[in-house]
Amino acid sequence: MIRVSYKQQLNNFLLDVDFNLPDKGISVLFGPSGSGKTSVLNLIAGLSESDSLQRASLKINNNVIDDQANKIQLKPWLRNVAYVFQDHRLFSHLSVQENILFGYKRRDSELSPDDLIASFSISKLLEQYPAQLSGGQKQRVALVRALLSNPKLLILDEPLAALDYQSKQQLMPYIEEIHKALNIPIIYVSHDIKEVLRLADYIVVMDKGKIIDEGDIASLCIAQPLLTQQEGASFVLEGVVTKIIAEEKLVQINCGENILITAENMCLEQCVRVLIHARDVSLCLTPPKDSSILNCIAVCIDDVQSDKNGKLRVLAKLGEQTIVALISHRSAKLLNVEKGREMFAQFKATAMIK
Amino acid sequence: MIELAPIFVTLKLATITTLILLIVGTPIAWWLSNTHSRFKVIIESVVALPLVLPPTVLGFYLLLALSPDGFIGSIWGHISSTPLSFSFSGLVIGSVIYSMPFVVQPLQASFEMVGKPVQQAAYTLGATPFDTFKNIVLPLSRRGFLVAITLGFAHTVGEFGVVLMIGGNIPEVTQVLSIVIYDHVEVLEYTQAHYYSIGLLVFSFLVLFLTYSFNRKLMVRV
Repeated sequence: MIRVSYKQQLNNFLLDVDFNLPDKGISVLFGPSGSGKTSVLNLIAGLSESDSLQRASLKINNNVIDDQANKIQLKPWLRNVAYVFQDHRLFSHLSVQENILFGYKRRDSELSPDDLIASFSISKLLEQYPAQLSGGQKQRVALVRALLSNPKLLILDEPLAALDYQSKQQLMPYIEEIHKALNIPIIYVSHDIKEVLRLADYIVVMDKGKIIDEGDIASLCIAQPLLTQQEGASFVLEGVVTKIIAEEKLVQINCGENILITAENMCLEQCVRVLIHARDVSLCLTPPKDSSILNCIAVCIDDVQSDKNGKLRVLAKLGEQTIVALISHRSAKLLNVEKGREMFAQFKATAMIK
Repeated sequence: MIELAPIFVTLKLATITTLILLIVGTPIAWWLSNTHSRFKVIIESVVALPLVLPPTVLGFYLLLALSPDGFIGSIWGHISSTPLSFSFSGLVIGSVIYSMPFVVQPLQASFEMVGKPVQQAAYTLGATPFDTFKNIVLPLSRRGFLVAITLGFAHTVGEFGVVLMIGGNIPEVTQVLSIVIYDHVEVLEYTQAHYYSIGLLVFSFLVLFLTYSFNRKLMVRV
């Protein structure tokens, strides 16, 4: 477990946070710009000025990093907290190879540079200098450099923010690769809901220097307004792969009901999380017989909420889990959508699987 | 005809001054580029004083300080039996102070250019501050060092007022080129003045030319 507790007076607000993070997987620190996310990362990495610190405590799996009460404050170079910055911060006078070996040479690492060079596809870049690389390449090099420094914790500060859409899409799988390469916890800071939903296992929501919510992604993306009121609001269904239909590139997943999702490289009995956009879900009273949409499951309406964008968010129960549909006021009136009503929820098989 | 002694004295003075300035000026520039101390502005102003003060003012106070009863001279008296005023050592002290801003300012600017963020990245990768300074800051500041060395050296070669005030004009000890030229002009020996002057002109041009070409090369590589 990672235990984080800091209080510091910053220029424009008081940062006061106290939270725990799981010791594996990707924990996302989510919140609007200027909510203090990067300040928290800098405190964790030991890069903050400590003079205005009122409370400091950081523990990574029983290793005490900061403990103000006992006057413990490890220097940043002794923390084994690797940091990938928004602006890559590669050393411009060193080649890619020298960059990625910078931390490796200074700390004993069991990782093999060759393996990481291969899995992050940078073998062709080794002789080049940072100025010759594209934005996405720079971030890949920065990731490998951080991983090779033998971190106990990896923190990523909006590593995709400076990239264009295409580079983002290309880099995302590499970030997902990380915890396969290295079994360390990752703290990922973002204000982009799409990144959060795709990458997060656990979410801590920040606003104005405070933690306003935390929890696993499945529960937060239904209940936390900062996540649900956004363009691209989604929900998560958890289930088990029960059938693989390879020739159609489909898998059947049981999440209370059987649903079909487009996916490859899955195996039977695998536990998965399916991420579905609320706007991709429609509701109907009877199951249509001639629709191209593959999934149609019986649900019970649990709640109807107004969305700030003028739509209605309909929460429906599927066994223990919750489905969210974003529909118009008119549709709600026509179908008489109200709490307790039995309906059918329809959605395409194009959801994303984690 | 042309005496070589003043040339040697000048080059020796400029070389020693530049070396001392690198040793003294680098920590000052580093401190100035990193500190939030309220003394920063004061130190910055003191370092920059020789840029605006008439060399005679600086020379006058140095003359007082270097004399056996002066601030520097009395300390020197404990270490050495030869007095500082009108000696080569005194000249070096004067030159170090006089050329200080030409070394400290380019270094400070290039340290500030390197910036905190890159150093923080090095820290998180396990590099101590000294390690970071040696392997990240110094190589990234090499253009600043090149400019600092060139300006410090060239400015010391071209020094006149301060030397005249504190060095006297002792052949083979404190007599530098700029003073020799002045002496020749005073007694209307224009031919000799020409030889030295044209030599100094060509030398200065070459130094600057080489520096700027090298600077371009460094720039292209990074």
